[in-house]
Amino acid sequence: MMGTKMHTKPTVLLGYLVPALVLALLPVFGAPRSWLLYIFLFAIYLTMANMWNLLAGYSGLVSLCQPAFLGLAGYTMVIGTWIGIPWYCGIFLGAIVAALFSLLLSNAVFRLTGVYFSIGTMVVPEALRMVFYLWRPVGGSMVGAGAGYMVKGIESLRPDHFYWLALALAVVSMVIMRVVLRSDLGLGLAAVRDNEKSAATAGVNVFKLKVYTFMIAGAVTGLAGAIYYLNNGYIEPSNTFNVKWTMTLILATVIGGVRTEEGPFLGSIVAVFLYFMLARYSGYSLLIQGIILVVIMLASPQGIVGLLRKLKWYRNFTGYVAD
Amino acid sequence: MSGDILTPILMGVMLGGLYALTALGLSMVFGVMRLINLAHGDLVVLGAYGSYAVLTMLGIDPILGLVITVPLMFCIGILIQKYLMSKAVTIGAEAPLIIAFGLSLIIQNANQIMFSPQSRGINTAYSQASFHIFGRQLPMIYLLDFIVGVVVMLVMQEFLKRTYMGRAISAAAQDTRASKLMGINTKRIYYYAFGIAMVSAAIAGTFLGMTFPFTPTSGTTFLTIAFGAVIIGGLGSMMGTFLGGIILGVVQTLSAHFLGANAQMLVLYVIILILLAFRPQGLFGR
Repeated sequence: MMGTKMHTKPTVLLGYLVPALVLALLPVFGAPRSWLLYIFLFAIYLTMANMWNLLAGYSGLVSLCQPAFLGLAGYTMVIGTWIGIPWYCGIFLGAIVAALFSLLLSNAVFRLTGVYFSIGTMVVPEALRMVFYLWRPVGGSMVGAGAGYMVKGIESLRPDHFYWLALALAVVSMVIMRVVLRSDLGLGLAAVRDNEKSAATAGVNVFKLKVYTFMIAGAVTGLAGAIYYLNNGYIEPSNTFNVKWTMTLILATVIGGVRTEEGPFLGSIVAVFLYFMLARYSGYSLLIQGIILVVIMLASPQGIVGLLRKLKWYRNFTGYVAD
Repeated sequence: MSGDILTPILMGVMLGGLYALTALGLSMVFGVMRLINLAHGDLVVLGAYGSYAVLTMLGIDPILGLVITVPLMFCIGILIQKYLMSKAVTIGAEAPLIIAFGLSLIIQNANQIMFSPQSRGINTAYSQASFHIFGRQLPMIYLLDFIVGVVVMLVMQEFLKRTYMGRAISAAAQDTRASKLMGINTKRIYYYAFGIAMVSAAIAGTFLGMTFPFTPTSGTTFLTIAFGAVIIGGLGSMMGTFLGGIILGVVQTLSAHFLGANAQMLVLYVIILILLAFRPQGLFGR
């Protein structure tokens, strides 16, 4: 697997595109609204979980600041619509802001080794939440607490459009994972994760590598956040810069399998299922999610994929898909 | 700007004693097990709720109530180390962090279920009282915070220096393998170290609860403060942590004084991030 550059076979791309196309056709054939909502959330979770997996699983950066990326991008997009920037530009502007923010942040947090890194990143969404409570970038009446904003100028859009956007992004995130992990960047990351010192000695620019990864993760998570809040129609600080997002992303990745390419895919299905199942017990939802997280981490550190890989037919199947 | 700057400085210094105490458990677990306990803040809040429950349900003064909450927290610490953390470290580098993160949300949510998301405070006669110094009237509880912070730290230092258990903990912190070879049961030492960290969390939580109102989600704030104090002081130095706590306390009260109560935590967070960026080895580190 490692050592040589892999050429992605067309069958693999088909493996992504065919299911995506089937899902994309669902609204055309009048699938129930609730189904579309499930799949929309699945696509958003999958994108974000992929990026967290890239950081925590493949780069050893257990980031707890993903809400900062999705929140900043969401805010950029929403505030953009208030000052006349169309939403489709806003989404990309949001991704750029998130990427720049991750660049700014990387200077601070990459001086920290593994143990420090997580707490350093954990502070960031907390600080941003306070910033957006205190700071109201553009005028307008107060909606909710602090800087709450409705998205403007999207009257012509239907939920189907958001659905397609999210699906497209999910496919893009899967392709990014595949390409990154098979590139020199992915190879370098594997070397750094196994032994940072010897990788550096062998000529890997560890800092640069981590910055690139962090920026990719920031931008793509930002895209997902912007699309999520476009669909949501409303953004405010306390739900945006919230640890619940972090929990969902970690859970989706861990249930599926950290450091496996198919993990976030399987995990995100479970995460959506959990989201709607636990909605009825919202008071207990974090408790239950926390227990699931701890139990899975202890019982099967590689999640569902770890269990599946013990099965022969699964190994044959993924072996076929991977090559 | 208003003139009286001495009051916030005095209050900040006294508060710093408490912050150092909050940081003590975090730095102990890190020192011995090389593990940043992401759930430390929430365990401190659990300590605060414990004392709150002792006061409101049993009517026992929270300081006397420590007789109940301290052993309880000690046991919780041992259980966490025995059943979660000791297993987590064998899985991989990320596992302890992820498990601690899960634990943190479990405790948060459990506190919320038991005590509701409402803001609570531990109110006693002395937590409302005040004292006079330099012609200024200051809250009595701040003085208590400082005294307790200093006393617990001194006791801890003596414990680590003079008792067998304390020396064994220090030895394990310095070199686990070598201490194993010397016949120290490091596994058990880890249990006790985590338990002792939770004892300090219980005391810190009780006094924090008497000083500030708290909610189930206050843990993140407390963890950040504890982490900040440890970072400023440089790891492993108790004196440094103490100074770090005081610096953070003064920064917080001064920014509340000049920028308003809403901005004080933000200033604290930003300062911690800047410190991380430019002096991750701490102000007093090499």
